[in-house]
Amino acid sequence: MTFSRSCFCVCSLLVLFTAGCAESKNGSPETGNDAKAATASKGTIGFSALTLTNPFFKTIAESLTEEAAKHGYEVVVVSGDQDVKKQSDQIDDFIIKGVKAIVLNPCDSRSIGQAIKKANDAGIPVFTNDIKYDGDEGVVECHIATDNLQGGRLAGEAMVKLLGASGGKVLIVDYPDVESCQLRTKGFHEIVDAHNAKDGAAQIEVVATLNGKGARDAGYAVTKDAIVGNGDLSAVFAINDPSALGARTALEEAGKQDQVTIIGFDGAPAGKKAILEGKILCDPIQFPDQMGAKTAQMIVNYFNGEEPPKEILIPSALYYKADAEQDPELQEKSAE
Amino acid sequence: MDATAPKTQLGKNLFNDYGMVFVLLLLVVVLSALTLKEQSPEGEEAGRIVAERIIAEQGANVSVMVVAESTPVDEAFVRGAVAALETAGATIAGSVNGKPTDARVAIEKALAEGKTIDAVAATGDTVEWTIYDRFDGIGSDKCVSPVPYTWPTFAKLDNLLSVANQTAIYAIIAIGMTMVIITAGIDLSVGSLVALASVTAAIAIRDFGGGENASMAMMLAGCTAGIIVCGLAGLFNGAMITRFGIPPFIATLAMMMMAKGLSLRLAVGESISEVPDSFKWIGGGTTLGLPNPVILMIVLYAVAHFVMSSTIFGRYVYAVGGNAEAARLSGVAVKPVTLTVYTLCGALAGLGGIVQSSKLGTGDPKLGLMYELDVIAAVVVGGTSLMGGEGRIFGTLIGAFIIAVIKNGMNLMDVGSYDQQIVLGAVVLVAVLVDTIKRKGGRG
Repeated sequence: MTFSRSCFCVCSLLVLFTAGCAESKNGSPETGNDAKAATASKGTIGFSALTLTNPFFKTIAESLTEEAAKHGYEVVVVSGDQDVKKQSDQIDDFIIKGVKAIVLNPCDSRSIGQAIKKANDAGIPVFTNDIKYDGDEGVVECHIATDNLQGGRLAGEAMVKLLGASGGKVLIVDYPDVESCQLRTKGFHEIVDAHNAKDGAAQIEVVATLNGKGARDAGYAVTKDAIVGNGDLSAVFAINDPSALGARTALEEAGKQDQVTIIGFDGAPAGKKAILEGKILCDPIQFPDQMGAKTAQMIVNYFNGEEPPKEILIPSALYYKADAEQDPELQEKSAE
Repeated sequence: MDATAPKTQLGKNLFNDYGMVFVLLLLVVVLSALTLKEQSPEGEEAGRIVAERIIAEQGANVSVMVVAESTPVDEAFVRGAVAALETAGATIAGSVNGKPTDARVAIEKALAEGKTIDAVAATGDTVEWTIYDRFDGIGSDKCVSPVPYTWPTFAKLDNLLSVANQTAIYAIIAIGMTMVIITAGIDLSVGSLVALASVTAAIAIRDFGGGENASMAMMLAGCTAGIIVCGLAGLFNGAMITRFGIPPFIATLAMMMMAKGLSLRLAVGESISEVPDSFKWIGGGTTLGLPNPVILMIVLYAVAHFVMSSTIFGRYVYAVGGNAEAARLSGVAVKPVTLTVYTLCGALAGLGGIVQSSKLGTGDPKLGLMYELDVIAAVVVGGTSLMGGEGRIFGTLIGAFIIAVIKNGMNLMDVGSYDQQIVLGAVVLVAVLVDTIKRKGGRG
């Protein structure tokens, strides 16, 4: 009795698993055929994203897949889930599968080195985007990212445009743990300091720089503290959309949303929507779609015998309410 | 009914002992069948065959370019091809071991020197490069590459070793976890202890051992320090549980948070890469063709199996989990046994952390995220009961491999990461279901 029951359970486990496989078997060849229909398949590119729960990386994955398909490459996308062991196991699996090229958003800028080296040893070129590999064990063919310094300067210009005539007190909600965010703050300071150095210019005073950890809750908390200490704050520069939106919540709670203007960064869907609704003045926006497409082009060029540049920086652009009103992305959403 | 009883009993024992092994074998067969794929031959022999095919098709009076990547097998490919071409008296327009750019440069050079290229001898990989179409009169139709054969990707030796290598760290930590769960406890802190060991060892090596130039002895001392710190953390867990009666779940949950915070603090949130190359050998090197973590895993399992099945300590561990009160009354030193088990579990988590951080070549406070859940899943799938008193060390090894093989299989078949989690969750659920039904049957 017990034996047969146990047997039944094990069988159900197997059925379950094979069902899972069968489903996937049905899934993957179809996409393969699609790619083949366009041009003969030239092989597979493996992409291990930082995480797929953030729409930014999903957009990179989609544009990479789309652009690569135009040139006859298939893309397999997996999520590193911000776990460097998981990501290095995924690279192992990519090597065994014999992918032609590997694209990464390193889950740790240094710890991923051994895994990159393993891919190099297997003769597979590695490309990174958004997050840079910071080490010398492995070789990355090309790194594609937003020009964060230039983006920071744009935010500074927007701030000068806002407060240049009147002057005012500014809070920076930064995230010094991450290099890309440091660059944004640096670019912002460059422009604002240059403005302040002019003769007779109304001073834009940075009264506080607090760590919002790039997250909504931490951005909320530090803004809340900052407005207690600086009742006459005029503007906030937040280094990404989640911390900008956190700052907005804190300002609304204090009833200061009309007194204090927010400049964000990123241009994620939530940020763009907030710009449309007037909750954030503007964002220097990133172009994850260009990042994915550019990566695919660099891979195509690589196999075509061209040496890709070590680094490609994609310039950012300012995005105001007027841009949001024209943005088809947002209109689709409101139509729904 | 009476007559069939012994037979059923025999069947049950057989199933209990080997049931999970059957499941694992079945999975291996199923995955092999599902991952059948065309593979390309590699190495010297493949190079020779390609060269002979070119000569058979175009005669000995042919000018050939050999293109391969810079890996050792591809260097062998070029050697094989060049040797065979030279023997047959063919002209070699050039040979490349490198990237597509290198091949382009080599072809340009050959053409500039006025050489003709009648054929390109390429490997399975380089034949798919797009450089050939850049040149008039070459084109990809002039490429000759090895004829592929069909073989399951899953069953390639490289893949099987990689599965064993990937799962070794979970399997090593799972030894301690199995013991803890047999005493009817749980240890949630192992994931954080992985990070703690990794950071402690890397900092010890960087600050006291001489960093990248650390000697072998200093490196080993640093690793030992990492393991000892984790052993002490385990001892602390055990002390909280036995001295103050704090439930294991709570005591180790607290340690999980403290150890995580401590390792982030020690490392100031960053990974530490000032470690010597000898450190990377522990987790990244191979001995006799087997990855070191796999050898370590096999040795540890053999020792743990012996301890749990043939020593008094092992009997006591089962006794404590079966019924602590009864064990105490029959003279088992319940508290010292529990204390030892938690200390061992902490130390093994530390060892796992050392192996993992050696594999990555850095001390990283972000390591070990959610490892406790993977490890507990391996123990449970391996047939150890969360109620305590039952379970086998080898069962856990099989459990770890079942999970690893399923994960690997899904990766090889491009199953999305969302679906993977659903499947893995279901596998754990079914394993526990089997356990529960087995116990119900036992009672009835």
